[in-house]
Order: sequence, then C-alpha cells, then structure tokens
Amino acid sequence: MNTLIRTEFLKLRTVRSPWIILGAAPLLVAVGISGLVSSSGIDARNPAVKQSDALAHVGLASLVTLLFGIVAMAGEYRHRTITDTYLTTPARGRVVGAKLVLCAAAGAVSGLISAAIGLAAAAIWWSAKGFPFAWSDGEMWRTVGGGIAWQAAFAAIGVGVGALLRNLVGAIAGALAWIALVEGLVGQLVGNFARWLPFSAGQALGAGANSSQHLLPRWGGGVVLAVYAVAFAVAAMSVSVRRDVA
Amino acid sequence: MTGVSVRGLTKHYGRVTAVDDLAFEVPGGAVTGFLGPNGAGKTTTLRMLLGLVRPSAGEALIGGRRYAQLERPRTEVGAVLEATGFHPGRRGRDHLRILARGAGLPGRRVDEVLDRVELTAAADRRVGGYSLGMRQRLGLAAALLGDPGVLVLDEPANGLDPAGMAALRDLLRALAAEGRTILVSSHVLSEVAQTVDRVVIVSAGRLRFAGPVSELGERSVTVRTPQAADLASLLEARGGRVEATGESSLEVRGVDAEEIGRLAAQKGIALSSLSEGGTALEAAFLRLTAAPEEA
Repeated sequence: MNTLIRTEFLKLRTVRSPWIILGAAPLLVAVGISGLVSSSGIDARNPAVKQSDALAHVGLASLVTLLFGIVAMAGEYRHRTITDTYLTTPARGRVVGAKLVLCAAAGAVSGLISAAIGLAAAAIWWSAKGFPFAWSDGEMWRTVGGGIAWQAAFAAIGVGVGALLRNLVGAIAGALAWIALVEGLVGQLVGNFARWLPFSAGQALGAGANSSQHLLPRWGGGVVLAVYAVAFAVAAMSVSVRRDVA
Repeated sequence: MTGVSVRGLTKHYGRVTAVDDLAFEVPGGAVTGFLGPNGAGKTTTLRMLLGLVRPSAGEALIGGRRYAQLERPRTEVGAVLEATGFHPGRRGRDHLRILARGAGLPGRRVDEVLDRVELTAAADRRVGGYSLGMRQRLGLAAALLGDPGVLVLDEPANGLDPAGMAALRDLLRALAAEGRTILVSSHVLSEVAQTVDRVVIVSAGRLRFAGPVSELGERSVTVRTPQAADLASLLEARGGRVEATGESSLEVRGVDAEEIGRLAAQKGIALSSLSEGGTALEAAFLRLTAAPEEA
C-alpha cells in the first residue's frame, strides 16, 4: 500500500494541474476574507464581523479540494492512463484506496495552508481596522479545525465521485451543479433533512458563529461528512473492481 | 517459455456478442499475429487477456494463470494497447518512472528502455508535444520496463509512416530473437506477414484459423524477365509451379525469391523485377474473414 501511495504521489507531482488547484484554495480564502471585511463596514466602533466568520472561508475552499479529488481519479480515465495503472496493479480496489488516502492527506495539507493564509489575512485586516486580533478565540480555532477537516473530506469524496462517474468533465460539472444549485433544490424538498446533505454537513463543520443557517452541530456535521466520505469510498472501490476498463 | 492460452472466451455487450467461444494457443517464444477485420473482437480479447475486461465466459491465461493472479505482472507481460494514453502535461520519463515505481522496478530500467526505443533525447519533454510515432515508442518502452517474457501489442502499426513501420518490424524481430512470446494484432495481414511465425485469425468474434503462416497459403513470387520461357522451365525443373501472368512476367510458387535470383544469375537470365507477393496469403485472409457465416 505504501508503494501505491507513493506512486500516486509521484503522479500528482509530475503534472501541473494539482499544484494549480491546490494553490487556488488559500488564494480564495484570502480573497474571501478581504471581501468580507471590506464589505461589512467594520470599523473601530462597529465590530460587525466575528473572527470565526472570517475564518469560515477555510472550509468554503473545500470546493477546490473536491475538484482536486475528481481530477486525480477521473483524470486517469480522461487521459487513458488508467489502463497502464491497472496493468501495473491489477488489484484495482487498492489503487482507488491509495488515491483516497493520498487525496484526503492533500486536502488536509491544503486546509492547513488555507488556515495559515486565512489567519494571517484576518490578523492583518483586523489590525488595519484598529481591532486587536484575539488569537485565543476558541470559536475561531474550532471553525479553522472544522474547515481543514471539511477540505480533507471533500478531497476524498472527490475521488469517489471521479471513480463513480469516470467522465472528468461530467464529474466536475455535476459536482459544481450539486453545490451551486442541486443541493439547495433538494434541500427545499426534504425540509428539515436538508442539513444532512453533504455541503450542509460541511458547513456545520466549518461555519463561523454568525451563520444564520439551520445546521447540525459542528461534531454532527463532522460525523455526517465522514459517513459520506466512507460511503463514497466503498462505492468507488467496489464499482472500480467490477467495471470493465475499455 | 511462457505461452498464452485462450479457452472458450466469450464476451457479451448487451445483446451483442463481441467474442464468441474463442479458443487458441499462443506458443512460447514465437511471434503470433492476431488478425481480423476491424470489429472482429481482437481488442476485446486482448483486454480480457490483460484483466481489463471481465469475460462473460471462458478464460484467457498467461503461463497458466489469469493476469490478476500474476505476482509481478509487469515483469511477466508487457502490453501496448490502442487505448493506452499519456497525460499530455507529463514528461515521457516521468510516465515511465511512475510505472516503474508502481511495479517495484529499479529507476535505471527507465533509462534502459528509453535507450532501447530511442527516446532518450525527448524523455524530458512533455508528452503533449510528442509525435504519434514517439507516443508509440513510449508505449513500447512502458511495455518493456519489466523485461517481460510475453508482449501483447494491439494494432501497433496503426498510424505509423513507412519508416516507423520498418522500425517496428525490426524491433519485433529483435524482441522475438530474444526468445520472447509476442502476440501482435492487426487488421492488415501484409503489415505482419513478414514478421510472424503463426497466425490466429478471427472474424465476428469467432476463430477462423490458427496455425503456422505456411498453412494459410503459399507465398508467391512475381518475376519479370525478358526470358520468361527460359526461367519458367528452369524453375519447373526445380519443383516450382509457374504461371505466366503476362508476356514477360511469371508468378512462381514453391521456390522463394532468393532461390529464383540465384538460379537466374547462374544461368545468366536477366531479371527486371523480383518481388515477394503476399497474394495467396491475402486471398486466404480475405476468404477467412469475409462472410463468416458461410465460410
């Protein structure tokens, strides 16, 4: 398994797209925090934004790690390298497993970098606006931790989506459509169950204190997202083992 | 030497039967041509042999084992498939490094196979900038990484220019001379006729012929000479069967081109052309692959 994970790591290192995708996450976090602060009318008399709300952007960048996971898996079908991959390792479930482990780890690293950039951006804005930045804000750290976990989980889910759909363009379009539109529509249909859907579970895990949405508790969001990740992983591995590679 | 055996191999796609109860043996250490028109089921058969496609029935074995049962598949079987691809943004050398690492092969093998297919100079360029011939060679390099005893090549001649084709033939001969078992598919008999020892011919998913090329039909030689009558009687005396196809041209069976040239030179007969034609082979191939229900 160690060999397989290192092989998958070499695959990611030898092309440019994973680096570009991972670089986008911290960038989006910094832009998001800057936008929030500059649009909220925060000043010395009006602390309109909580630190945890700014750092909630760490979790929102999980959209990027979702794409990362999809590209890592469905990209093999797109470029038809999957044939050589399975000729080298006929045990396909282990190949998918190695991708899941590696992408979850890459998602966590992306989360850590996003958190570091996000904290730095927030601290700079706060001091620019004349507020002391409270490094001991427990809610902020829980938001950051939840955001990192969300990024890791969505990377793994991305691998699952990529293995199930195999069509790179279709998988990316489907994932974006789900987050931008479909989950909202389904959420309206199912009412109170909406908070159990994947993006809502992620929001519960990584949202700040001011979130107005009706979400699961933070730990609950974490458990639900972990269940989704495991379910996608199991489905991806069993389907990949059975299907023909043509 | 490791051989390949296919037994009762069948693949249905919905109501379409792509491969129909196929059975043949590929002896070790020989070059076997796997021939048939497009859509005959060659690629599906090879993909089943390599464990990529699950047979509906039957089995395809390499040295008595299914591909998935091979302990270190890259060291036993090398394959160049049509559908094999490369990431356009990845360098050729990196593509091979990935395969070597996954297969537990030492990094120096990457340099060795790059040299073997003469791709070393381009190894550090991204594959997106490779020509078709260079991609073919990269695919071959990948197949040779583990120094396997069995090579499976699916339509390797497709899209190659004449120089590329000649290079491919030379490489196949060299690989065969090293004692490897080679199974090479093609839809054009003449591409492989000079290289293969045996042929397996399929059409519409079913076996039409399996055996040595010589059993398929006799090779004929076309000779043009102003002294056609003299040459004809000379060759007939040597057991050849000669047919006059024109005033100064003969079609000869039973005596090969080298022998004809030698005999003519001895007797001072001038030849204006001497060519090995695959006419008989081609005719047999067409007969075997056309209208499979009646043949």
